[in-house]
This record gives sequence, C-alpha cells and structure tokens, in this order.
Amino acid sequence: MSATNKSIQEKTNELSKLVEWFDSDDFSLEEALEKYRIAEKLAIDIENDLSQLKNEIEIIKKKFDSDK
Amino acid sequence: MEKQNLKPIFSVSDLIAIVNQTLEYSYPNIEVEGEVASFKVNQEKFVFFDIKDAEGSIGCFMTVWQLRVPIEDGMKVIISASPKLTKWGKFSLTVKSVRPSGEGALRKSFELLKNKLDSEGLFAIDRKRQLPAMPQRIAVISSIQAAGYADFIKIMNDRWGGMKVDVANVQVQGSASADQIIKAIDFFNQQEILPEVIVIIRGGGSADDLSVFNDELLVRSIAASRIPTLVGVGHETDDSLADLVADVRASTPSNAAQILTPDKKETIGSIHNQLGSILPRMLLLINQYKQANQETLKAVVEIIEMKIADKARHISNIRSILTQLNPEMILARGYALVRGLVDINSIIEIETNKAIIKAEVKNVSNK
Repeated sequence: MSATNKSIQEKTNELSKLVEWFDSDDFSLEEALEKYRIAEKLAIDIENDLSQLKNEIEIIKKKFDSDK
Repeated sequence: MEKQNLKPIFSVSDLIAIVNQTLEYSYPNIEVEGEVASFKVNQEKFVFFDIKDAEGSIGCFMTVWQLRVPIEDGMKVIISASPKLTKWGKFSLTVKSVRPSGEGALRKSFELLKNKLDSEGLFAIDRKRQLPAMPQRIAVISSIQAAGYADFIKIMNDRWGGMKVDVANVQVQGSASADQIIKAIDFFNQQEILPEVIVIIRGGGSADDLSVFNDELLVRSIAASRIPTLVGVGHETDDSLADLVADVRASTPSNAAQILTPDKKETIGSIHNQLGSILPRMLLLINQYKQANQETLKAVVEIIEMKIADKARHISNIRSILTQLNPEMILARGYALVRGLVDINSIIEIETNKAIIKAEVKNVSNK
C-alpha cells in the first residue's frame, strides 16, 4: 500500500515536471506529442490510484497502562 | 478469680505501624479537595504544602516529579493521596498527584506552566517542523471509543488513501491519561521505521476533561518527539499547552485530518487542470513557430528579390554601354566606315547607314 502511495507522489511529481517542460526552453515540437501522451497516462493512473486505494489502519496491541 | 486485662499494650512504633496498616487498608487512595498553603520545594526534590479549608489543615508531601502541574499558595486543588502517620506522630498525606480544581485554578495553573515553558523556548516558532505533504506512515494517539477519533478517521479516509495508520489506543481523560499518551509517544519514537507524523487527538470536553493536555511531562514529551507532531484537541476555542508545543496545531480532530492529508478530489481536479492547460499551450507554441518560420521565409524572399533587382540593373547598364558601342549606331548617327588603301586613284569602299559605296581616291592631303 505504502509503496503504491509513494508512487502517487512520484507520479504527481513526474506529471508536474512534464507540464513544466511544455513551458520551458527545452520544448520541441518533435517531442511534444510523446510527452503529452505520457502526461495523459500519468493523469489516468493517478486518478485510478486515488480512487481505489484504502488506508490500512491497525490498532496497536501494546497496552500503554503505566505498569505494562 | 481476678479478671485478666486483655487489652493489648503496643510499643509506640507498633502503634504507628498498626495505624498505618489500618489507614492503608481502609483508605489506600483518597482524593481531597482544598486550598494550597505553605507551598515549598526542598532540595529541588521534595514538595511540602498544606491542604486546608475553613476549618482544617493537613500537611502534604510529594516528590517534584510527581507534581505535573504548577501550583501555588491559594490555589484550589484536588489531590490523590494516601494518609499516613509519621514516626513523629504527625498525620500527613503522601500525595501521588495534584490537579487544579475549578476554572480559576485551572486557568491559573495553565498560565503558570505556559509562562514557564515559554521562557524555555518550547513554543518558539523556529522549533516548528513541517508535516509531510503526502504522508505514507502515520501514528495516531487517541481513544478509539472517542467521537473525535471517529471523525478523524472518517475524514482522513474520505480525503486520501494508501496510508499505513498505526493507532495507540489510550485514555484521553483522567489521571492515567497523561502517562499513557507519553508512553505512546515514546513507543512511536522508538520504532525501527519511524512514522512520518504523530497525531494526538481528542474531541471536546470540559476544562477539567481537557486538563490532561496541560500536563507538564506530556507537553515536554511532545516537544521532545523526534517525529513531527500534530495535535487536535477539543473545539476551536479550546487552548491547551499540547496545542502550543505541537509542530502543527489543529482546531479539532476533523481539522487534524484535513491538515494531515491532501484532498483526493482536489488533487484529481488539479491534475485535470494541469493536463488541460497543455493543449492550448501546445497550439500557441505551434502558432508561434509557424509565424516565426513565415517571417524568416519572407525575409529570405525579400533578400533574393533585392539581389535579383541589383543584377538586373547591372545587366541593363552593360546592355546600354554595349548598345552605345555598336557600329551600326555610329553609322546611324551619320558617320561612314571607309575600307581600302587611301592612295590617289585607288578604289575604296565607303559604308554608310544605308549604302555601301565604291569610290576612287582623287586627292589626299594631310590635316
């Protein structure tokens, strides 16, 4: 779960970088279409991840009474 | 027969021991409410004070580390204690814990401790650490029966997923609660893989209910946590020292969930906006490229046209000169071309614009 969640952050960062690329001096028409396709796929992946992932909640068994 | 006296005869120390046994059996732990008087600390270890009301006063003893909230003379308190008769025959209370009683005392104690901890820099802004933007491992300290905990979990689950959430189920009210929360903080700080944030939450309650979050040792434990802390206790209007010392303060448990996690609906919306902004930008850039190319092409055509015009002018000039040099043009202006030897009686050929004439030379003279 955690690994997948991390990949949400990685995917989000990757998407932001791709969007920035379209505004940067590195922009080239030859690469633009491929980059757009990657960005589109990332957006779909992130949306799917966010819609499907659940939190894993665990109540710790240890007792926190003073003598235990 | 003489009646035997069956009443036991005690030594003084035995009597003291028996009285103490009786007290311990009958009153192992009592709570007494009264006003503090003659408060003093000896050798920075031992605390002495009297607890009194209008008609009585009892001496109290405790250690400094058992005193979890600051007290002073005149403050109304509730003590948890065991009664004891000392070897000098003095009745006293061995105090296990003290808590302020009544709103005035709670406020007074709060202000005293707040000033003390503030002077140590525990609430300083530069101590505050940021929480992770998208946490993956979080630790929650709360009572799982509390309404505040349920609110927190619900909002957290609605907003974000994929997190590993460890919950330490502790009391968040009553005399044992501060120590339990401290133990839970220590537990998480000793984990091999540390959580990225510790969230301490509790719903609303009376000032007395929430007073655990003004416990000095608990406040210091939050301050000492290696893991960044988020505290959401009570309602928006409730202030606690735990709030002040935390890295981030939430006004309620629900607010803690909002601070802790991004909202997936907002995140998805933002992703769509980002993606949607690419296409217009691409079209704009393509148009800019196209316009730049057209302008370059136009400039090249202009240069070529200028060079062609230059060449055309040059050729025209040459043609004009060549025309002027053409012998036909000279004959047209009335001149004639003479061929042959210019001797007397010799025949010469004269070419004009319109005829070729044979003629005989009759005379030759020098000019």
